[in-house]
Amino acid sequence: MKRIGVDKLAWGTSIFILFLLPVLVSETKIHLATEVIIYALFAIGFNLMFGYVGQLPFGFAALFGVGAYTTALIVHQFPGAHLLLVLMATALSGFVAAALIGFFCVRLSGAYFSLTTLAFQMFLYAVALKWRSLTNGDDGMGIIRPELDFGLLGSISLRSTDHMYYFALIIVAIGILGCYLFLKTPLGNSFLCVRENELRASFLGYNVFLIKLIAFSAAGVLAGLAGGLFVLFQEFVATSTMDLNMGLVPVIMTIIGGPTHFLGPVLGAAFYVISQDWVSSLTNYWMFIMGGIFIFTVLYLKEGLIGLLKLEKIRGSRVAEGKNGSDIKIR
Amino acid sequence: MAYPVEIYVVQVIHGLVYGMLLFLVASGLTVVFGMMGVLNLAHASFYMLGAYLGYSIYNSTGSFWWSLLVAPPIVGLLGVLIERFLLRKAYKGGHLAQLLLTFGLFFILGELTRIVWGTSPLSVPAPGVFAGGIPFWGMTYPLYRLFMVGFSALLLLGIALMLTRTRIGIIIRGAVSDPGMVEALGVNVPLVFMGVFGGGAALAAAAGVIAAPFLSVYLGMANEVLLDCFVVIVVGGFGSLFGAFIASLMIGELQSLGILWIPRLALVFQFLLMALVLIIRPTGLFGEKE
Repeated sequence: MKRIGVDKLAWGTSIFILFLLPVLVSETKIHLATEVIIYALFAIGFNLMFGYVGQLPFGFAALFGVGAYTTALIVHQFPGAHLLLVLMATALSGFVAAALIGFFCVRLSGAYFSLTTLAFQMFLYAVALKWRSLTNGDDGMGIIRPELDFGLLGSISLRSTDHMYYFALIIVAIGILGCYLFLKTPLGNSFLCVRENELRASFLGYNVFLIKLIAFSAAGVLAGLAGGLFVLFQEFVATSTMDLNMGLVPVIMTIIGGPTHFLGPVLGAAFYVISQDWVSSLTNYWMFIMGGIFIFTVLYLKEGLIGLLKLEKIRGSRVAEGKNGSDIKIR
Repeated sequence: MAYPVEIYVVQVIHGLVYGMLLFLVASGLTVVFGMMGVLNLAHASFYMLGAYLGYSIYNSTGSFWWSLLVAPPIVGLLGVLIERFLLRKAYKGGHLAQLLLTFGLFFILGELTRIVWGTSPLSVPAPGVFAGGIPFWGMTYPLYRLFMVGFSALLLLGIALMLTRTRIGIIIRGAVSDPGMVEALGVNVPLVFMGVFGGGAALAAAAGVIAAPFLSVYLGMANEVLLDCFVVIVVGGFGSLFGAFIASLMIGELQSLGILWIPRLALVFQFLLMALVLIIRPTGLFGEKE
């Protein structure tokens, strides 16, 4: 049980450091940290589907993009809307989009699922690109960060980097904690059951289709929120929030960080963003190097960077082995 | 909205050209998928590499035919090496590991292309013999596009004959339906896998070379063809070669006629078709099982 003690200590320390960060480091670093935590939420959502349900959605950025455009459009059309309401609407949009896309996709599994989600992402991308009157197409839309209104207690401007950081940190923390607690419920446990063996799960009376749909929708909430925060952070939205490259981002982060641990994707997000910032200043070949690290991780480091720490894993995790649902093994 | 009939005819031929091109790429993808269960995302990179290599070879030799002759085998060899030294390691890991690996390769090959050839689009002129156009219904139709249809048809006919009439074809088809059984009969299945993978890569590269004068050579071409191929495979049915053929032609026609109907939504049509197929027949038009 000593291991859990270390875990808790690490949790406490990192939360403490995250809250003190604006005091400790420069503003450009805070900018980077904001990006990391927003991507972390995105990647956690991805890993809900990949690490827990065992399905790989290549088109996960569709939900990120839907959240991004929802936030941007509401802030743009209704400048007076309360920011928390905007974020709730954004989370809801992620949920609805995921439920709709999931309805078509989750009945398929393996590569079929990966591809069809990607196709839906590209469909939404095409819509965002072509519906110029609403989205301004390729050129994107600039928005202004609204104030965070506390009614009688006054309001806080998010214009400063530090305020935006704290705001994102709190929303992301709520999202990640919510996801963590959700996964502890019996419903969350049934995700693992479906991942291990779909056929057996259905024999046990689980509605596999519904479970996968719920998981995908929950992941959609996280991705949508991340997309919304991303737009508030960048003060800009464009089709790049759901292009092919954005679809690859959570895959790379999760695989490199480690899909077998709940917080693996967070580590991956930090690694991705920070190394991008650092290596890009040295050479032009950052993407190439990242691709190399990715392939190395897939082949030789199946538990990702976080696997090196030997923390407690997601139960029974053999994620990268991707069991085929129809394959019954008696142990 | 109302165009003269000949415009429609031209667009139909245009759709046929793109459909055939698409099938050259999608066929390799489908066979590899049916045989090894690997959905090779890097397949689209082979198409792009073919186009870029074709461009370089054209530039150094001045002949389109040299690039068509040399680029596909080089890319095929690259495919063989990738299968032998990377993919083979991932077979044990299951479908997800393979998918992730080919995804990483797609990523890296795209970056490599950017580093070697730069980001600006390149163009290759059509070969001299087919440079002009032929008179057609009061217009001139580019001869090169007809060559593309003819060349693809010839290539595909050759492959169809190989698959159905030769011993190698029988082994390949057998390995698609039951690799274990074929291996038990004394065939070196890993070798067959390697050959088919390389062959598929060479086919995609050939498609890239002949596409170059038609669509020009640019970095986004891999993404575009990858997405179109996905739609083709989903619509046609996973692993079904005939389904892929029909679906390729459907997508080609849908794109070129869709541009006439509602230009703004041309990109969207094929995804609507895909969603429709997924609702009515989740396994695709000609797919048997998931």
